[in-house]
Amino acid sequence: MSAFAIQVRRYRDQFSGMTAHIVQRVTGLLLLIYLFLHVRTIHELAKGPAAFNAALATFRNPLIKLLEIALLGTVILHALNGVRITLIDLGWGHERQRRLFWAYTVGLGALIFLAGAIPLFLSSVLGV
Amino acid sequence: MPVPAGEQTYRIRVSRSASNGISTGVHQFEVALEERMTVLDALLRIQQQQDSSLSFRYACRVGMCGTCAMSINGVPRLACRTRVRFLETATVCVDPLPNLPVIKDLVVSLEPFFEQWKRILPAFRPADPAATELASIPETSVYARQTASKRDCITCGACYAACGVKSTSGEYLGPAAINKAFLRLMDPRDRAVKERLSVLNQERGGIWRCHTQFNCTAVCPKGIPLTDSITRLKRAMLFPARFNKS
Repeated sequence: MSAFAIQVRRYRDQFSGMTAHIVQRVTGLLLLIYLFLHVRTIHELAKGPAAFNAALATFRNPLIKLLEIALLGTVILHALNGVRITLIDLGWGHERQRRLFWAYTVGLGALIFLAGAIPLFLSSVLGV
Repeated sequence: MPVPAGEQTYRIRVSRSASNGISTGVHQFEVALEERMTVLDALLRIQQQQDSSLSFRYACRVGMCGTCAMSINGVPRLACRTRVRFLETATVCVDPLPNLPVIKDLVVSLEPFFEQWKRILPAFRPADPAATELASIPETSVYARQTASKRDCITCGACYAACGVKSTSGEYLGPAAINKAFLRLMDPRDRAVKERLSVLNQERGGIWRCHTQFNCTAVCPKGIPLTDSITRLKRAMLFPARFNKS
């Protein structure tokens, strides 16, 4: 095993809480950026249907569709990790916080993400 | 120099500072160590055989005093309890504890740590200071059960050094001080509730700054679940009447 892999494994085993904290911060920032973009687009409605349709048309390309799938992953990670933190603050799962992050936030999050991302990819990007 | 049988050579990279605390860079040493030797043994060998000016602190050598806490491969640990072999690397990076001012080489000042420690009034404040009779705490009581694993702090400063919040906020109390406050507040015999709660409730440096990162729990050499103390205390503080002691 390479020295880097050893360090990653050690960090994963010992500092899951910190990893979860960083994940929560990064996904939070990404969602904040998305929120501004979302409000900006909705604001076009005030200018009339034509302006709104024109704004929506800018999102009709495969790259934006891929970003939409990434947004789904960001929302899932942020939401599940938020529930994990709330549970810990309420005194549940303290001793199991490492497993809670990897099995619940990452594992269950990945399953939910795939369940949503695959149909989205097929319909939006490939047009199947 | 040939390596003696049964020993392995390790590269020890030490972050060094002059006596005024100003960094003088990283110095590298090659040390032959036996299988069971610790990072403290490695530093002692360097000091005895290669550079007598290397400064670090140690006392008990058995993980009781907390004096030899330092950053080893980026993680705060006790040098006397860290076997080099278990680090699984041929190069070991040794730095002074983060979040604390460096005095020289690996020696840091624990003054900021104890300043925070003093703020939460760590000493026991009994209802009747003149009482001569010893109060007993049954092992089965709530206090005894909740605090059993949390009384072993050796004030090594590892949690303080690992805390991500502490690294961005000089006013934050830090995990060890909060754990001490937890022990005192939960103690049915202690009476300095209002004073401690006013410190813990402070907006900038109080308990609410904790982001539940678990770094303190991960590095505590005594295995104290510090984050558990902090979250328990946070919950209890939502209902301060809980601290009223008869």
